[in-house]
Amino acid sequence: MNQSAPDAASSNYGVHQIYETLNLSFLHVTIKVKRISGSAFLYARQDPKGDTVETIVPVASDHLKIEVAPIRPLNHPDRRGDCVFLKFDKSIHLDKGSAMTVFVKCPIEIGVFLVNGTTDRSSLDWFTCDPLNSRFALYGQADTGILCKYSDVAVETSESFDDTAYLQAVVRITVKNKLDSGNSVSKVVFAITDNSIYYDGSKSILDGIDVTMKKRGLVDIADVKVKPIETDWTKSPTWESSTTNTIMEMGLE
Amino acid sequence: MIGFLEGLSEMEIISGLTVLSLLFGLIVIGGGVLFAKIAKMLFFKYYAPTLPKDTAKNFGKMIYFGIIAIAILTFTSSQGIDFSGLLVAGGIFAIVIGFATQSVVSNLISGVFLMIEKPAKHGDSINLPDMGITGTLLDIATFSSKIRKFDGTVVRIPNEKFFTTNIRSFITVARRADAAVGIAYKEDIDGAISAITEEIRHSMPFVLVMPAPEFRIEELSDSSVNIHVYVWYPRPDWGRVQPVMLKVIKNALDKAGIEIPFPQRVIWDSKQQQQ
Repeated sequence: MNQSAPDAASSNYGVHQIYETLNLSFLHVTIKVKRISGSAFLYARQDPKGDTVETIVPVASDHLKIEVAPIRPLNHPDRRGDCVFLKFDKSIHLDKGSAMTVFVKCPIEIGVFLVNGTTDRSSLDWFTCDPLNSRFALYGQADTGILCKYSDVAVETSESFDDTAYLQAVVRITVKNKLDSGNSVSKVVFAITDNSIYYDGSKSILDGIDVTMKKRGLVDIADVKVKPIETDWTKSPTWESSTTNTIMEMGLE
Repeated sequence: MIGFLEGLSEMEIISGLTVLSLLFGLIVIGGGVLFAKIAKMLFFKYYAPTLPKDTAKNFGKMIYFGIIAIAILTFTSSQGIDFSGLLVAGGIFAIVIGFATQSVVSNLISGVFLMIEKPAKHGDSINLPDMGITGTLLDIATFSSKIRKFDGTVVRIPNEKFFTTNIRSFITVARRADAAVGIAYKEDIDGAISAITEEIRHSMPFVLVMPAPEFRIEELSDSSVNIHVYVWYPRPDWGRVQPVMLKVIKNALDKAGIEIPFPQRVIWDSKQQQQ
């Protein structure tokens, strides 16, 4: 027996139980896992340029269990912050007191986790299927601004998962205007670490966000808050919590 | 042995301070120093990695010198040593020493002010233009500060000089890199800019999308149209942007078949022209 497929047969996402080999293909990225001894597997990922990353994973049992899931787009080309900058292809104009809900496709990355028991996950690897569009933007000034992962997104009025597999997650954005005048919104910047990500087959979805234009004292602001969604989709493990604050004495890597 | 110790306790060095009590003091202070070193080592091993480097260093110093101070106070109070008699003599002595060690005191006070003002913190990349030093700040200690230059050597700067000099700090969120290239007069400027933009997008993942790369025609020079390229990048990624920019630009122009001309001069012979 080589492997047991995840629940959704058409998707690479999900939990994979590997006894000998596993081959997964994500657009231009391939993952190969194979047994190299009685107690170890070799994990290899090849990116579109042909570069390969290899890791040896020891196991205590007769198989290796991994979960492949969408994660927040914060790691490629390197981690430089928690925020995402979504630039709308068209601005949304809201008259005073009005509100609107739109859907956009936010870029994602893919995480590979080792599965220990039913809930425990440890991070093994991550990658992006769209490295060319995985870029940073500066929101604000050079000295006080925030570095964000940037993406141009199309504003849609209904939820659509077309062409999103392994690349994007759908985000529901509700914009409310509580100001005394009409205003336009053409971008949204938010800390995506507060948003959970869920997957079903190769589709993925992020917690929604509420953008409220309102007055704080004499200043007009856009308040951005996470709105958790209720879904029966599988919640992705969190990559960041198990990868931060890794300190090694003597600079071992 | 007891007799020997009794003998020591009767040998008075100054009023109230015997050889035995001095010996006891040395043991207490020595033990205090040893304990301080162990405490500092344990702090750096188990707690400091979770703190910012500056805070960790300052805490380490506080623990070390705090324990030594407690050891000295323990010794003096246990022996009933009265310092009041030393105050007058100490005052005069301090003036003499003050004049003699003016620069030392100045460095000490500058060090204190540097720790309070914090013009730069541990790990920051800084440039001291007056001294021609650029590197990473390693430490602001009691009397001097240390900077590791980018060639790997470490420079010790007295705190007084460090405090009074201009400091250019590279601690912004993003920074700008630039490079200049000349293209032949016959080439299409917009085509060259488009080729460079596309190559930057493909080859330089740390270049920011916003602010977007900027192109300025700086000069119509003797042999070429000079284009200046400006790109922004996250501050820690200087090494992944500035040193490779010219290579990326040249590759872009080579791929697009755009000529980067050598300096050339057209000589016009007026006599030949008339014939």
